[in-house]
Amino acid sequence: MSNIYAALEIGTTKTVLAVGEAETGERLRVTCHAEIPSAGVRKSQILDINQVTQSVKGVLHEIERKQSEAGTKLTIGNAFLVVSGQHIKADPFTGSTLVDGRVTETDLAEVSESARSMALPRDRELLDIADQAYGLDNLGGISAPVGMTGRILKLDTLNIHADKNRVEDARTAADGAHLEIREPLFATTCAAEAVLEEHERKNGALVLDLGGGSTGYAAYCDGYLVAAGVIGVGGDHVTNDIAHAFQTTQAQAENLKKNEASALIGKTETASARVKIPGSSPLLESRTVSRVALDTVVNARLRELFAMIRETLEEQDLLHRLHAGVVLTGGGAIMRDLDELVRRELGMSVRKGRPIYVDGLDEEANPAAFAAIAGALAYAHHNYAEKSVFGFERILKGLFK
Amino acid sequence: MSDSSSSMLLVGVGGAGCAMARGVMRAFGDSLKHVLADTDAKTGEADGKFVLIGGDRLSGRGSGGDVVAARLAAEDSVQAIDDSLEGVRLAVIVTALGGGTGGGATLETVKHLSDRGIPSCVFATTPFAFEGETRQRNARGILPLIEEAASASFFIPLDKLVGDSDDDMASAMRRAVDTLASGVTLFWRLVEKPGYIKLDAERVRHLVAGAGRGRFAYVSAQGENRAEEIVDAIRRSALLGAGSGQVASILCGVLAGDDLRLSEIGTISEGLRGTFGEKASFELATVNDDDTFSGRISVVVMLFESPRHDDADDPKTSEPAKRRRRQRAILSTGPTGRGRFNNSEPTIWNGEDLDVPTFLRKNISLEF
Repeated sequence: MSNIYAALEIGTTKTVLAVGEAETGERLRVTCHAEIPSAGVRKSQILDINQVTQSVKGVLHEIERKQSEAGTKLTIGNAFLVVSGQHIKADPFTGSTLVDGRVTETDLAEVSESARSMALPRDRELLDIADQAYGLDNLGGISAPVGMTGRILKLDTLNIHADKNRVEDARTAADGAHLEIREPLFATTCAAEAVLEEHERKNGALVLDLGGGSTGYAAYCDGYLVAAGVIGVGGDHVTNDIAHAFQTTQAQAENLKKNEASALIGKTETASARVKIPGSSPLLESRTVSRVALDTVVNARLRELFAMIRETLEEQDLLHRLHAGVVLTGGGAIMRDLDELVRRELGMSVRKGRPIYVDGLDEEANPAAFAAIAGALAYAHHNYAEKSVFGFERILKGLFK
Repeated sequence: MSDSSSSMLLVGVGGAGCAMARGVMRAFGDSLKHVLADTDAKTGEADGKFVLIGGDRLSGRGSGGDVVAARLAAEDSVQAIDDSLEGVRLAVIVTALGGGTGGGATLETVKHLSDRGIPSCVFATTPFAFEGETRQRNARGILPLIEEAASASFFIPLDKLVGDSDDDMASAMRRAVDTLASGVTLFWRLVEKPGYIKLDAERVRHLVAGAGRGRFAYVSAQGENRAEEIVDAIRRSALLGAGSGQVASILCGVLAGDDLRLSEIGTISEGLRGTFGEKASFELATVNDDDTFSGRISVVVMLFESPRHDDADDPKTSEPAKRRRRQRAILSTGPTGRGRFNNSEPTIWNGEDLDVPTFLRKNISLEF
């Protein structure tokens, strides 16, 4: 029987549930996915658990309906949870152990255990521990220390953690829909897992995951995750700015953002070009607004966001190390001329992310929007099917109950 | 007497704040070290060293009740007070919350002073109940931010300050301004006028550092039983709220003429401690000024509910700690454009609320 996994993302804009099935080798295929607009979520945080529970029930029913149409029956009992929001932080930590002469595999296990001993505050929940390079006495940047001679072996890690209450809210909402949360995962590193090529990690790359409520970033250098975090500004802020500038409803503003706005000012149109806003009801007449003004509002917000990303990277002395450039993921990656704006603001090459190791999403209009959930499925496949038979059994038990 | 070499700076913010500051200045003359700041250029037409806030942004026409506009305006131009900061060790800020400038610009002023290592002691009135929910909400929204940024803060409800009266609104406002100005004047005298038990600016700086929110009132009495009358008035004071919440520390200033008796100081001290708790730490200061106070006693009382923290005096912790506190803080609303984010926790970055549209915060004009 194939390995089957499910991943749930409760986003500000949409709730997505995807089911992945292992193919030959390490590859995974998304066999079914469903998405519905989210309710009760703002800035990536749950404000109304009941509404979110209804959203989760909605995607579960949609998956079952699709499976039924395909002539199969699948009841999903648990899923990996993709988490985002500005409550997520990343802290470096170094574990160490004494070595008796040459470094052995036992020493590696001990230093790994030491690196995982960082005590988090009670209100934080660990999402991920990313191993970086080893150090041996005064020598750093070691990738394979076994057999080397030294006295103190060190391992640098980046520990990603979230507000425990926010994660618990998501668990509660999913539980209300009879869906057990297997493990919470950070959306941006999941997205990076799905879209980054190995050579990009080594040469230095930045993944920007542009969500509705927040923007996550994950920077890789020399093959390691070296920085990660979330800025609490997302596509909803762009929508809100448009709504305020042109006195529209949020729905009209969302429509303008998706279908008309550009991240750059006056890229293709003349200064006098106008954009039509249909009336918010059949009784209200449509009107027009200046395209330049619309683009100005969007451009101001996005330039500010990328300036914050730039400032954050500069503070960590990373900007000049990201030679492979930027990969854009998330629903916001589809914004017109966004890649050109990022290129100008961060001074790097830019491409849109597309899940590389996960099949089944090729027909999506914006595969970058599914990068995080595809990465979560890939994570589940790599970490549970191959390394833990026990975990594999548990997943089967949950999924096919 | 106070002079321009004083290490205390009086800052009036907003129209009412400037009026209160001028009330204090009347007692000391122009030599009192001061700055008056407002978004309305008309406020600067009277006496005093005036700084127009947000001249480019608001053109001197006031903030129109918009807290965020005033805050942004203050961000633009708060550096204009720097000329007055030489040698200043403590700033006393007087303001009125509820409108735009008092709310928005006060916070930026306090933060700016804090960035320069100058602790602030804020005296701020909150609106009368009859002024309506919008002004009350404006005040409630900004109040915790000021409390967080200032070393010590006193928020004085105008209803309690004026008490029951049948004044018309203009008279009530005038009386409130005068009353608070009188209280701050007494506080200023306490610091600037030497007494037998001295309280200088350095001592006040130490006392208010990290003191947090406090209660403030002053009472005066004359005649044979004046000390007992003062104790009685303190017990009944709505501003001091005897019995409402624990008091961790008491600062008592007694201002009187040469006829002040030792027994009267004892009566007042025992009365205060008996009313607000024997366990509270007690600081006493006196001023003997026969020219001003002959025949009467005035008592200034400051109560603090929290144990004092000295982080404002600790260069290692004060600024980062305050910045972190600011980042956690909630920005006041108003006609801000926060829209769908109105009821959610703000996203603060370098002191700016990112939920407010960028083009508004950056003052980018749109050609519609």
